[in-house]
Amino acid sequence: MAADLSGKPVDAARLRRANLRTALAVGAIAVLFFVGVIAAQFVGNTATGMSVVGAAVLLFLAFAIGRNLRK
Amino acid sequence: MSAIPHDHAADHHDDHGYHPTGIMRWLTTTNHKDIGTLYLLFSLTMFFVGGCMALTIRAELFQPGMQIVHPEFFNSLTTLHGLIMIFGAIMPAAVGFANWQVPLMIGAPDMAFARMNNWSFWLLPPAAIMLVGSFFVPGGAAAGGWTLYPPLSVQAGMGMDLTIFAIHIMGASSIMGSINIITTILNMRAPGMTMMKMPLFVWTWLITAYLLIAVMPVLAGSVTMLLTDRHFGTSFFNAAGGGDPVLFQHVFWFFGHPEVYIMILPSFGIVSQIIPTFARKPLFGYASMVYAVASIAILSFIVWAHHMFTVGMPAAGLLFFMYATMLIAVPTGVKVFNWLATMWRGSMTFETPMLFSVGFLFLFTMGGFTGLVLALTPIDIQLQDTYYVVAHFHYVLVAGSLFAFFGGAYYWLPKWTGTMYNEKLGQWHFWCSMIFFNITFFPMHFLGVAGMPRRIPDYAQQFTDWNMVATVGAFGFGLSQLIFVVALIKCIRGDGAKAPAKPWEGADTLEWTVPSPAPHHTFETPPHVA
Repeated sequence: MAADLSGKPVDAARLRRANLRTALAVGAIAVLFFVGVIAAQFVGNTATGMSVVGAAVLLFLAFAIGRNLRK
Repeated sequence: MSAIPHDHAADHHDDHGYHPTGIMRWLTTTNHKDIGTLYLLFSLTMFFVGGCMALTIRAELFQPGMQIVHPEFFNSLTTLHGLIMIFGAIMPAAVGFANWQVPLMIGAPDMAFARMNNWSFWLLPPAAIMLVGSFFVPGGAAAGGWTLYPPLSVQAGMGMDLTIFAIHIMGASSIMGSINIITTILNMRAPGMTMMKMPLFVWTWLITAYLLIAVMPVLAGSVTMLLTDRHFGTSFFNAAGGGDPVLFQHVFWFFGHPEVYIMILPSFGIVSQIIPTFARKPLFGYASMVYAVASIAILSFIVWAHHMFTVGMPAAGLLFFMYATMLIAVPTGVKVFNWLATMWRGSMTFETPMLFSVGFLFLFTMGGFTGLVLALTPIDIQLQDTYYVVAHFHYVLVAGSLFAFFGGAYYWLPKWTGTMYNEKLGQWHFWCSMIFFNITFFPMHFLGVAGMPRRIPDYAQQFTDWNMVATVGAFGFGLSQLIFVVALIKCIRGDGAKAPAKPWEGADTLEWTVPSPAPHHTFETPPHVA
């Protein structure tokens, strides 16, 4: 991997905002799954609720990984 | 291999800011290298704690009858051994590698959220104390197996509450660590380093972090429901109140199977860095390796019920989970093929990191094959809860994860400490581990096929011979790890040759552009990757 070690400094404020956005999005997904697993027990048929949460988890993973694979 | 200019400026990065010393340095540090070191040392400590439990288990099983411990304590030992090795040893070790290496490999100055990184680590020791301390509370530690299945876990004593809290805390730590790693990789890569130029170790960790975000909340949710069943009168899993204990198994294994890949994917990444270095060839099929890791991660979510073929599922369910499980062998096979193709006609040398990687490849493949055997529903019904399963997952997790971590430690120790490890000690460590590992776990295949159930403190006499062999092997394997400790201490004390910036001729990633030991601050100005 060839690298030029004398690069330009980064815009710290912009990076901080971007980091915060990413972290909030990922953290919100984690909270949603936690609440979802418990809430699914109270919504109608448990098997259906759990299937919805499971499918959401799988879709998140496929989307999150898939969008990076294109780059 | 392209020539990489040496970063002389990095030698002078240490000269600013206030640096606390002594214990305060480690308590308050926000430096990714310090936190990586803390994770790795914590993991090594827990490895020995869990290892002592394993040796007590093996000592009890040396011969039939009860010799050393009470049956209840034996059950607690098997439960805590599993929990400590998974949540206390393997996962923190992987996070330790990520903390040290991810910023260095992508040209970032640190992790995205340095204070949260410190917090992620310091949550772990209290959780570990709770787990180990649960042995001393009334009723003793949790004893229903690391899977915490109800009804045992609903009925157990206070030790189970401590275990549940410890899992909550370690889960929170894992989620915070994952958020940090995802953010760092997505936003802080050096200019020019596109996703498909990232070192494979970074790729495997990105996908592992996504897996953790997806499954740790599921585990946290399930143990929270367990807690409310125990203390707040709910009946999620309590059949007496209209709940369903099998539901817990589904939810648990929806976490549990991806967890296996959380433990093994970082190892894949480490091995994918080591093999090209010592074969002196670029990694064969980089893109296919990335796609294989992604496929493994996604498939890991649709195979969970192969852990519960015997609960009574419809035939269609059995068939689906059997075929889905066998499908994972395809991307795993792609990876094994690519590692072999990287070595093919390479200019190979077998220093300790390469030995551990080749050992990993050989033994992990064996573990994968026994996994395929267990994926077959009719066979699994025979082998369910026997020592065959114990042999299988130890081939995957000890010879898989652990061997790769040892390889990674020897590979990066020169960069971390500035001192070359003692090659002779490393070779002794590898060969002793390799031999004693197989003496311990290979006979367990025979015991399992012969019908010896797991998690029992006593057994029928016909199983005695292979149990004796396994116990001798286990003590040999345990003692072999002391060689690693000696090699590590020698490195930390600087007792050895001084390591150059790039000790491995074939190494080609950004961490080798900074001096050894890596300065406290690196890549404050990001490099440009061509």
